[in-house]
Amino acid sequence: MVVDTTESTPPKKTPFGRWIAGFWISFLSVVFGLIVWEIAARYFIDPFFLPPVSAIVAGAIELIERGLLFQHIAISLFRILTGFILGSLVAIPLGLIIGSYMPVRQIFDPYIHFLRFIPALALTTLFLVWFGVGEVSKILLVMYSTGFIVVINTATGVVTTHKNKKLAAETLGASAWQIFWFVTVPAAVPSMYVGMRLALAGSFLVIVAVEMLAAESGLGYLIWTSKLYFRIDWMFVGIFLLGFFGLLTDYAWKVIGRRWLRRYVRETANY
Amino acid sequence: MTIEMTRVSFAYDGGTSGVPVLADVDLTVPDGEFLILLGPSGCGKSTLLKLIAGFDKPTTGEVKVAGKTVTGPGKDRGMVFQDLDSALFQWLTVRGNVEFGLRMNKVSDADRKRQADEALRMVNLSGHVDKLPDELSGGMKQRVQIARMLAMRPEIMLMDEPFAALDAQTRQMLQTQLVTIWSEVKRTAIYVTHDIREALNLGQRILLMSAGPRAGIKHEYEVPLSYPRDQTDPTYIDLLDRLSKDIEEEVTKVWS
Repeated sequence: MVVDTTESTPPKKTPFGRWIAGFWISFLSVVFGLIVWEIAARYFIDPFFLPPVSAIVAGAIELIERGLLFQHIAISLFRILTGFILGSLVAIPLGLIIGSYMPVRQIFDPYIHFLRFIPALALTTLFLVWFGVGEVSKILLVMYSTGFIVVINTATGVVTTHKNKKLAAETLGASAWQIFWFVTVPAAVPSMYVGMRLALAGSFLVIVAVEMLAAESGLGYLIWTSKLYFRIDWMFVGIFLLGFFGLLTDYAWKVIGRRWLRRYVRETANY
Repeated sequence: MTIEMTRVSFAYDGGTSGVPVLADVDLTVPDGEFLILLGPSGCGKSTLLKLIAGFDKPTTGEVKVAGKTVTGPGKDRGMVFQDLDSALFQWLTVRGNVEFGLRMNKVSDADRKRQADEALRMVNLSGHVDKLPDELSGGMKQRVQIARMLAMRPEIMLMDEPFAALDAQTRQMLQTQLVTIWSEVKRTAIYVTHDIREALNLGQRILLMSAGPRAGIKHEYEVPLSYPRDQTDPTYIDLLDRLSKDIEEEVTKVWS
């Protein structure tokens, strides 16, 4: 009997091939959603409340022609990313220390657990009084909201590091400082990673609210002022862009996790 | 290095929480011996091992290694943990895990490589050095733990039911491998188990522990057999029988 091996083995799908297949399903799902929206807005719903997709695209083009849209996008992303990065830079070392040393935890715990229930939005006006209407107050508010999420997640990661890892390191002759640096910190990376991902989403929330209250630019400002001109289509442009850039930054964060932190975060970066 | 325990008792919270787990344990382990701590679960055999490792301090009495009182963990006493995952550094490769202790102690690059390679060879992991712990089977994970300990060349090898979570075939294979390693490195080994056959396959001396609380060493058994142990040898069968009856008494105590 002759077995034709070339035909009996189907071509194996590469990871990229599988990704492409998955991408097409998602892509078609989005296209379908947009078509349903377009039809609904044209024939069934008052376009003043829900403009069709085509009208929103036209609105976006109009905003681009006026030379404002990219400016709004850039300033919002600048505020979000600056606040997010600076907030994380403060929060990670703090979370590591709080998780590691009881006295430090006891000093900071009352503040952290009290303040974390006060949303950044509640502090917006206060920060405007303290730090002015410029960029400083906005970035500080993003830092504030990022900070608590990242501190708590980092400290949790430190506290939940399995005792056996530290004991094993001790029997291997590691000093207390080496255990902190080479065991506790890497073991806490997944928690930091997840915390920062949540904080990134939170940053979008904060910046929009702040820009609505006190800004002359940004996507939040665009959404808010569109109301004044009865330009619901512009409002949708702003809303859509928030979703789009949220998705994009989250995706970028996932790629960073998979590419550079794979061995630390492992399956945490899979969804 | 000789290990000596004199009138050692241990209770959690320094004895404030009531009955001690271990009470009045006297124990001497001569240099180079393969000693088994055998007993039913909850008898404090792991606790005894942790006292030697220095993870816990005795409530009363003293643990001495080479004449010096144990005050904490040290690199003279290596440890293999029962749990497959919690003790490994999952962000490091097999080689990274095995070299960890050598790096922490700033061993020179050449010595580090040599000692790690030797340890990896002894556990047959030389072909898997670049894998991460997630990519390994349970048996391989425990071999990584053993290699990590061996690389540091500790005077005393402490093992807390390292093969308990593995399937019977893997366990038997690793037992054989462990005996080979022990006869090669010629260091003291203290091995905790609740498996009588495992005890007989590995140990030169078996200490049967009584059920807790206030657990202690109930009986001592010498195993006058050469390695590898012949499970059909009349002495093996006789010891198996005696140990089974002895341990059953303790299990009954816990259950009644």
